[in-house]
Amino acid sequence: MLRFALRRAASALLTLLGVLALVFGLVTAAPGDAAALAARAGGNRAVAISPEALAAFRHLYGLDRPLTERFLTWVWRAARLDFGRSLLDGQPVTLRVSRALPATLALNTAALLLATLIGVPLGVMAARRPGGRLDRISGFVCDALFSTPTFVLGLVFLLVFSGWLRVTPLFADTETGLRGFLLPVATLALASLALIARFVRVCVAAALADPAALAGRARGERPSEEIRRALRRSSSAFAAMGAVLVPSVVSGSILVERVFSLPGAGSLLAEAVFARDLPTVLALTWCSAVVVVAASLVADVVAAALDPRTAREDEVTVPGVAA
Amino acid sequence: MTPARAALRRAAIAFALFPLIALLAPLVAREKPWVSGRGGETIVSAPVPFDPDAVDLDRRLASPGRRHLLGTDELGRDVLSRALHGTRLSVAAGLLASALALGLGAALGTLAGWAGGRTDRTVLLFLQIVQALPALVLVIAGAAFLKPSFLVAALLIALTGWTDAARLVRAGTQRLKNEAFVDAARATGASNARLLFVHVLPHALPPALATLPYVLGSAVLTEAGLSFLGLGAPPPTASWGRALAEARNLLPGAWWCILPPALALFFLVWTARRLGDAFLGRRGDVQSRLA
Repeated sequence: MLRFALRRAASALLTLLGVLALVFGLVTAAPGDAAALAARAGGNRAVAISPEALAAFRHLYGLDRPLTERFLTWVWRAARLDFGRSLLDGQPVTLRVSRALPATLALNTAALLLATLIGVPLGVMAARRPGGRLDRISGFVCDALFSTPTFVLGLVFLLVFSGWLRVTPLFADTETGLRGFLLPVATLALASLALIARFVRVCVAAALADPAALAGRARGERPSEEIRRALRRSSSAFAAMGAVLVPSVVSGSILVERVFSLPGAGSLLAEAVFARDLPTVLALTWCSAVVVVAASLVADVVAAALDPRTAREDEVTVPGVAA
Repeated sequence: MTPARAALRRAAIAFALFPLIALLAPLVAREKPWVSGRGGETIVSAPVPFDPDAVDLDRRLASPGRRHLLGTDELGRDVLSRALHGTRLSVAAGLLASALALGLGAALGTLAGWAGGRTDRTVLLFLQIVQALPALVLVIAGAAFLKPSFLVAALLIALTGWTDAARLVRAGTQRLKNEAFVDAARATGASNARLLFVHVLPHALPPALATLPYVLGSAVLTEAGLSFLGLGAPPPTASWGRALAEARNLLPGAWWCILPPALALFFLVWTARRLGDAFLGRRGDVQSRLA
């Protein structure tokens, strides 16, 4: 078990290093000279910059160093959470990111919690009678939710609740407080809810069709006990589902923040992309990769702890997802 | 016809409506009349007689009425005409990105499964790296460095969407390459290429091909998100995502600017997913990772 966890952790570190290399490659391969871009970002675009100034700038930022040296320096700094200064206002990137993160974390956590609290019971109830009325209705609703872009759902919510009913604010600023969070959380939760409910339904229905469930029924198990055992048997798959859920929630929250003008990491990313503020873009990309890799590491280890069979396979397979 | 085949046909017809609209949009929604008289007077006008980019500042934000069936946006452009033309972008981006993603996934999956060993591990590591980044983050980060355009968006979406296809093809190739019939073909002296293309791939590819509708659906969603953020095809190309971003700023008014592109997006993705379900002959299972 410990060996499996260590091996998974090593592979996670390798993946993160790969992410850094990929992002670094994107930056160096991108058209446009970083020095010219950065020098121009502060002031008037029309003013020509002398070659000497550019050379001095390159030297100052180490852009005249060999590629491998730059990469290693960058990795070392990223590991210490030092991403340099924003090209937009000269503030340390880490400061800007850490100011934006609490709102995003609150949004994502609340949405995942809400989605789990509703999605799991819904999936279990649908699984008790596959093909029954509840199963068909929830299947249809989840299918519709799968086909709705998160930001479209948010826009329609805004139109109905803020535009027509006027019960929620149009912009989720810091002043609007919790009321401003209602719609973003609901929007983000609905997208994950569909995934959770369908996933739980598939797993529990499979566990209930298992001979083990038949044996339990023959012993005279009560339905509640039967469900409890079915959940227990599919618990390792649920852990794997967490790893699938996290990246989709992160992607969704970028758009949701944008829709509701929520000042979080997603808004910061969009803003940084427009301003071509590369250090901030890189820091946020790095953050999201760390979150996703950490989630998948935890999910794999938890799955292995719940069901040691999964530790023996080279990769965790999730029933229903790409069989 | 079996019920499954009938369902597949219905789903295919429903989905095919969108490429059809995309093809016909320039004909249906245009200012130039279908038939005009010698003096240039209109005899038969197009059903939606407005160009998607035609600005009419006298009729800004007109609500749906007889002249503009679905109203106009903040520049007085016809919403229906823009929604019809927007189909072109979404359908083209979805088709191109999903085809590229499947091609890339199939190529890398075959390579990994057939070669095995170090090649296999390298491809798997690469796959893990791409999956470590949420699709939208990778696409946005890429868009930050490249000039936004239709092609860049499609390419970036393909670069994030190939992993599931690669996994499927890799698993299929691995399983098949040790089958008795492949050994038999090898014993008769078939070349590696023949073994791969004649004996293995015809069985390894279909599972990945069946996921095409889902990949297409999520590609359309990602493209719309990218356009919504202003990182898709640049203006004045009519785009559902950007139309929604513009409508966001008009809230609480102008509901007619939100609903047409929102519903169009929903139905395009929905019909694509239904087609995927019909392919697989089942419904409701969690089939694809959501973007």
